Amino acid sequence: MVKVRKFMRQSPAAMTFIIAILLLIVTFVVRPNSFNKNTFGSIILLTMLLSFASAGQTLVLIGGGLDFTVGAVMSSAAVITTFLMQGQDGNLLLVLLIVLALGAIVGVINGAACIKIGLPPMIVTIAISNLIAQAQYLFAADGKSLGYAGPALIKSVSYKIGGFLPAIVLYAIVIWGIMFYLLNRSVYGKQLYLVGDNKDAAKLSGIKVNKIILLSYIFSGILSAFAGMLGAAYMTVVSAQVFDNYAFQSLIAVIVGGTALSGGVGTYSGSIAGALMMTVLSNGLTALALADPIKNISYGIIMILLLFAYNRSSAVRQ
Amino acid sequence: MNSLKNSFMRFKRSPAFTGFVLFMIAIIMNLIIRGPGNFFGASSLGTLFAKNAPIILVTLAQAVLLITGTLDISIGIQLALVNVVVIMLPQELGMSVPVAWIFGILAALAISAVGGFLVAVLRVPSILATFALTYVIKGINVLIMNVPQGSVPKEYYGAYDTVLFGFLPVAALIIVGVLLMWMFVKRTKFGKHIYAVGANPRNAFAAGINPTKTIMKAFLFKGLITGIAGISLTLMLAAGNPLQVEGYGLRSLAACIIGGLGFGGWGSMSCAVFGAGFLVLIQNAVYYFFNFLQDILTGFQITSYWQNFISDAIVLLGLLMTTVTAKAQKETLKQGLSRQLKRGEKFAKQ
Amino acid sequence: MIALSGISKNFGTVKALCNARLNVQEGEIMALLGSNGSGKSTLIKTLAGLVNPNAGKIEVDGKEVEIKSSVDSHHAGIATAFQDLSLVPTMTVIDNMVLGMEPMGRFGMVDRAKSVRMVNEILDRLGVVCDINAYVQTLPTSTQSMIEVAKAVLQKPKVLLLDEVTASLHHDEIQLLFKLVSELKEQGLTIVFVTHRMGEVFQLSDRITIMRSGETVIEEETSKLTMNDIVYYMTGKKPDTQQGKKSAVEKREKELVIDVQDMSLRKIKNISMQAYKGEIIGIAGLQGQGQPEFIRTVLGLLKPEGGSIVYKGKKINYSSPANGIKDGMGFISGDRNKESIFQHRSIQENIYAGKAAIQNIFKYVKTKEIKGFSQKAIDDYNIVVGDLKDPATSLSGGNQQKLVVSRWIALAPDLLLLDDPTKGVDVHSRFEIQEMLRKSAEKGMTVIISSSENEELMEIADRIYVFYEGKISGVLSKEDMTLERIVAAQMGMTSERSEV
Repeated sequence: MVKVRKFMRQSPAAMTFIIAILLLIVTFVVRPNSFNKNTFGSIILLTMLLSFASAGQTLVLIGGGLDFTVGAVMSSAAVITTFLMQGQDGNLLLVLLIVLALGAIVGVINGAACIKIGLPPMIVTIAISNLIAQAQYLFAADGKSLGYAGPALIKSVSYKIGGFLPAIVLYAIVIWGIMFYLLNRSVYGKQLYLVGDNKDAAKLSGIKVNKIILLSYIFSGILSAFAGMLGAAYMTVVSAQVFDNYAFQSLIAVIVGGTALSGGVGTYSGSIAGALMMTVLSNGLTALALADPIKNISYGIIMILLLFAYNRSSAVRQ
Repeated sequence: MNSLKNSFMRFKRSPAFTGFVLFMIAIIMNLIIRGPGNFFGASSLGTLFAKNAPIILVTLAQAVLLITGTLDISIGIQLALVNVVVIMLPQELGMSVPVAWIFGILAALAISAVGGFLVAVLRVPSILATFALTYVIKGINVLIMNVPQGSVPKEYYGAYDTVLFGFLPVAALIIVGVLLMWMFVKRTKFGKHIYAVGANPRNAFAAGINPTKTIMKAFLFKGLITGIAGISLTLMLAAGNPLQVEGYGLRSLAACIIGGLGFGGWGSMSCAVFGAGFLVLIQNAVYYFFNFLQDILTGFQITSYWQNFISDAIVLLGLLMTTVTAKAQKETLKQGLSRQLKRGEKFAKQ
Repeated sequence: MIALSGISKNFGTVKALCNARLNVQEGEIMALLGSNGSGKSTLIKTLAGLVNPNAGKIEVDGKEVEIKSSVDSHHAGIATAFQDLSLVPTMTVIDNMVLGMEPMGRFGMVDRAKSVRMVNEILDRLGVVCDINAYVQTLPTSTQSMIEVAKAVLQKPKVLLLDEVTASLHHDEIQLLFKLVSELKEQGLTIVFVTHRMGEVFQLSDRITIMRSGETVIEEETSKLTMNDIVYYMTGKKPDTQQGKKSAVEKREKELVIDVQDMSLRKIKNISMQAYKGEIIGIAGLQGQGQPEFIRTVLGLLKPEGGSIVYKGKKINYSSPANGIKDGMGFISGDRNKESIFQHRSIQENIYAGKAAIQNIFKYVKTKEIKGFSQKAIDDYNIVVGDLKDPATSLSGGNQQKLVVSRWIALAPDLLLLDDPTKGVDVHSRFEIQEMLRKSAEKGMTVIISSSENEELMEIADRIYVFYEGKISGVLSKEDMTLERIVAAQMGMTSERSEV
């Protein structure tokens, strides 16, 4: 047990990945008929999507903040994408720009609010997230989507390479590459880790702390918006608040991947492993064909167990 | 005259001051929009209290946790839990209503004990633990009552809606009752300890206080108030609904913060009262304002979506307005919270 | 009365205590000494119930006891006044002092009248004047320390532990405290106090216990030890009797690097200071006379309300430290845990932090570059490390501070600002840091260093400005730098300024 805990502490990403695979095996054992190309395809696709949503969350968390608007931004981006495209690919580039711009704007609001207000980011971003969620209804009347994503966009996400690998993995190469650069090779990443570790020391070392934090929220907004656009392509039909639960999911994925809630530590590969675990879990619960309330209860209990295992404060007495 | 000035200066520095100011602004807005006669009329005050007693009570409960440096975002859906228990027990098991109420309060206490266990004993950050708990409670609620249904005997909800002596709403009395409970608790050892634990758990521990036990007790106290709030909700609705008022969790939190409470050791129950009052009165003002607009501008329709949007926007604005709070108070707030999170990370995880 | 034996404690990989022992006889005053990282604070915390030892035995009054919490500690008759204060800042004085032992009244409510009586009585005895209904955080640090001691005495203990309580006290307060300690000894209390100030040790204590690197090295009667003995046991090295290089009064370039005129902000009133290239300017003064505020204003962390600063020929008006640092400044704090060290980051990342701050944020940086940069710093400044990738907290306090100093010197700033950098650093590392500063000054770096150790300033500073109550009470150059003159200026006694 002690060895396991030590391993978990040293390489949470690897640990999470192993647990995810184990859970997947358990699912196949319990429901053998879920062992097929489609399941793998859908798990990969959803993992990719969640990993994109978790990318921004990873940045924000490492910097010591928290972005609860990930879900609401994704949903809004999805709604706007379907509305603006109306099943045509013509204005794809324009839609992309609009969606990313909106994500950036939300990021600015989040960042400014968290920095200026000085309240815990979770509270601030939940409030903003609520507002965005409500705004979707103003936009989409009774909540139903007003169009479809364009076919090329859909294909770029859902086309099965070699019959089973969703094309979305190509986006992953880009996004994962960007994240790797940001966190591991750029000066920004270095500063971000320092800010999350010790804000005062970072400031006194000459880092523009507020700028770094604001940027992390802006990146998060942009990445979530992009994820929402791809999500619209995946879902084809989209309704308001469709991706809202990605907020909590991305948070858990990032935490379970080894990023601490208090900031300063974490990796994106951990978040990817976390995304895999969350997807496998969701898939498992669905495969078990549980009734909704039981699903909710199981989901909640599993979340609590994960939180207990991965992120606890220490006792007052050492 | 001088001592009056001193008292005012002391009040100005207390955490409840900004909440008080906002509260007065909200009252003035209501007076402008509805006119004093309408606003202070017995029936309007009665409805105001009856409709909003649940959110006010829940804000008071949330305040207790905030003082200890924790929070419970599932407090909203807990009201629904109490609600379904209190409706289903008489309906399915023929239990008498008052006994069902006791079970309702016990349900609130039980779920609060779970929350308290996660936060105090297992030391899972309260914000995440209670958010996860929301899913669990939602599932339980639906298992108890799968679709909205049920009724409450007229004697009970009638009593709840009554306004005694022409000016004292029963709902207001319930709130006063809870406040009296708090005034007693504040003067006990426990009352002092929750402030110490919230402000600086390590120093509280050094003084011989057991933070785990204190937080656990705080959760149970919160559960008691939540139980009472759940019963008020049931009487207000005279029906049952397993998936309602989930938003009360965030709302009560916002109300506390707007009223001036900090995350741990800072603030008082008056903050909660003013904050809840502000929220309730602003929503009231907005509602009547839109009705007024609809009356005078033909063809002007406000959908419920707009009302929800404005409501949430007001919550956000209220939070933004807390930047108006005195600098000293904000510092305590920030330090308290960052200490919360860093407390564990500073030392090697054992 | 108290016997601790075989106490060991590890925090992760850090060995804080290794078979430590402590023996205090009833009714005696024991001084517990040791430099940073010696384990003395950890030992005190063990007795106070805040730290759970991995091994060892605790005996109080001849009986073995288990101290698992502060409640146990209190039951064993031990009360502790902590160095970093155990008061709750957002509660009132009276609430703080009876916290955990509130006198009970009717119906389970606290008996306020009794609390007031108890608190007033002990505060009077200690000569503390304050509003007991004031929030603790609004009171000056020295008053808070006195309240901390009062709180411990209020518990009517058999054993009183005082952990560095005199650090922020004024001279008169210290005397009152000593008077109380002597009275308590006559009443039969046993007292253990931890301090860095030798004067107190010889004035108060009956016996001395010295710790080093987690072990107890000696327990001896005070009368049988000399200052040199104590330094030897604390450091393991004979003290360097070298007077320190009073470098020859060379002709320094008279290039004015920074010129502060009439700076004012909260604690500071009209301070003017000039520093020339290659100079080491010392800032002396008692705690809290405005030195940290001055340094941070030059850096750009605080905004002055009046006055001007001309740096490298240009008038500056910084909005954040980032501006100052980009302009060639560096800053080293005395509170390294809060203001310098990044605890989760590795040694090399800590060293690279300064360089990371000044580059363009989207610049591409290879790990090799970071490693190279930090390896050079380690070699140049002789920092003792295991692996560059180890967390910074694996280093001893002294080495951590050397790391921080190297972080800045490696960037060759024009002006290096230091706020009491050797506070709590062991003697050896202290010398090495002073060497680093001297060498850099010879290469042309300007240094402004504030320190609570006058001897240190005398060793390295070319000129010393003495701060007193937010003003400069004296400027001493190399020739007229004596300890007496510095101390006099510290207390406000100078020939120029006779008024307070």
